[in-house]
Amino acid sequence: MNRNTDRLTNGPPMPAEVEAKLAAIVRAALELPSEMDVTGAEQAAIGTWDSLAHVSLMLALESEFGIPIDVADQVRLTSYRAIRDFLAERR
Amino acid sequence: MNFLEARRVVSSFAGGPPLPLQFALSGTGEPFELYLRAAAAARGRAAQVRFLPFNTLAQALRREPDSAVTEVFLLLPWDFAPETDWRSGVPEVVDAEQVRVRATETAGLLARRGSARLLYLPAALPPVLPDPARNEAQALWLQSLAVELGARTLPPEAFSLGGYLASGCPVGGSWIGRVAEAAVDAALTPRPEPKKVLVTDLDNVVWDGVLAEDGLDGIACEPAGRGVRHFVYQSFLRRLQREGTLLAAVSRNDPEVALAAFRSGRLLLQEPDFVAILASYHAKSAQIRELAERLNLAPDAFVFVDDNPVELAEVALALPAVSCVAFPQHDDDLAPFLRALAGLFPHRTITTEDRARTDLYRRRLAGLVPSELQGADLTRFLEGLRMTLTIHDRTRGDRARAVQLIDKTNQFNLNGRRYTDADIAKILDAGGRLFGVTLSDRTGSHGEILACLIGADGVVQALVMSCRVFQRRVEYAFLAWLGAQPNPPRSLAWAGTARNAPLREFLSEVAGPLNGDGVVPLDATGLAARYAADLGLFAVSAA
Repeated sequence: MNRNTDRLTNGPPMPAEVEAKLAAIVRAALELPSEMDVTGAEQAAIGTWDSLAHVSLMLALESEFGIPIDVADQVRLTSYRAIRDFLAERR
Repeated sequence: MNFLEARRVVSSFAGGPPLPLQFALSGTGEPFELYLRAAAAARGRAAQVRFLPFNTLAQALRREPDSAVTEVFLLLPWDFAPETDWRSGVPEVVDAEQVRVRATETAGLLARRGSARLLYLPAALPPVLPDPARNEAQALWLQSLAVELGARTLPPEAFSLGGYLASGCPVGGSWIGRVAEAAVDAALTPRPEPKKVLVTDLDNVVWDGVLAEDGLDGIACEPAGRGVRHFVYQSFLRRLQREGTLLAAVSRNDPEVALAAFRSGRLLLQEPDFVAILASYHAKSAQIRELAERLNLAPDAFVFVDDNPVELAEVALALPAVSCVAFPQHDDDLAPFLRALAGLFPHRTITTEDRARTDLYRRRLAGLVPSELQGADLTRFLEGLRMTLTIHDRTRGDRARAVQLIDKTNQFNLNGRRYTDADIAKILDAGGRLFGVTLSDRTGSHGEILACLIGADGVVQALVMSCRVFQRRVEYAFLAWLGAQPNPPRSLAWAGTARNAPLREFLSEVAGPLNGDGVVPLDATGLAARYAADLGLFAVSAA
């Protein structure tokens, strides 16, 4: 496997350790089991991903990756894939 | 602390003493919870955090605070001036005067919450006023309101407009951990009580030079030349003294030598500005301890200033409650030094008693009851003081000093409860009564030294007395007087505090053994008879 390429999303490349960190943040912010594969997670399908959890998730991303996230981006970052691609583009 | 670290800290925290916390902001507070709990856990405390419902800060300010939790407010400019809230867009017209009136009212509500901790986030304002310069001035003025309330100002970059517009959470992810840490630190830091006494060294502090070696002509403290730093220090002490701080000097000198400097006319400070000038070769800690006993003030009310690190260490070791501050060795260190000292002696209001405090304490020292006197000797001594009690009905008219006494007294305090003027007004409007008592004796006036607040239901809500007049039987005489009045109080709302042992002792004597906090019944008529002899020590008049 190409270490710098995400094979699930085919989006912009992202180092594996960053991808792992993102998955850990998503699991923690949404209170998901530690072994759960979240790469296909979408807000509509995750019961704990309510509006408050979404705020916490956005803050966690800002906190961990040191980037501000505009309102328009916060509104559309409702899936793991969207977040991953957003981060990959911003890095 | 970032998100994953905060999670780790919270999950690995083994537990600690609870920290009940109300984190109050007008926006969304819930995202702070993890970071607040992590910041508390990192300090060994288990945070129990509560939030206000979104956009209800203004209503919360109009409710009584819950004394069981520590309130920490995260304030934004629009909490004072709602017209500047980004979420409302830019208003068509803003009445700047109306903004100021409303902001001042909010500041007044915050000022009433004496134990609340305040953080202020100076977020950028939308351009609500037509002139950008006025808009900027408005922002600075709103910040100054918060600063005046004692708020700690956070860096403006902690504000996230995006986050605020998206979710109502005004702090971005890069700052939320640090803001939470500031909130927990504020909650854990007790609001400092103003100090009462500044004890200063003389040589190389009040003046430049060593008096015993350089002689009177060799010292300098003029507003120019090598003594200028000492001149500024003296002028600051003079201001503190006028505001009610007691000054004392302690010096390793012969008393005549030290006094000669003050009597020379060369110093800004004069001998009467000091409650005591102690010059001897005893350890300075011993001199301060003796002064504290004679003034009947706890060591934690004292600040000691010296240029000699050895002297500072000696006092700090022997009297750890005394705040020790080093006099600066360089001019550039003078500003932070004076700022630190000013922070130890904050005065929001200054009463007549404050201005006369040095004289009042000098009288206390002059009329101090010798500790060996008992029984008939003590009575004879007190009679010889020719004391007069003037009892003022403060239910109407000026009550500033009575409110201040209730707010500041710790030792002889019925329950430690603090009341603002508005709180007291409410009790009085409901039919309560407020008394203030002035004491004078052959040495002069001691000012208003006792206050008593009685609710409409006849329960004494506050009874406080200045520690300057302990041992004179004033409290017994007052109870005897009160018991003989029409409609005397029927009970007292007692609560023990860490510092009100003198009141506990007094109450146990007059009302019998205390069984925990609560309402203590009072046999007013019986007290009037029992303490009639104490009342007889005073000439009493009602004003």
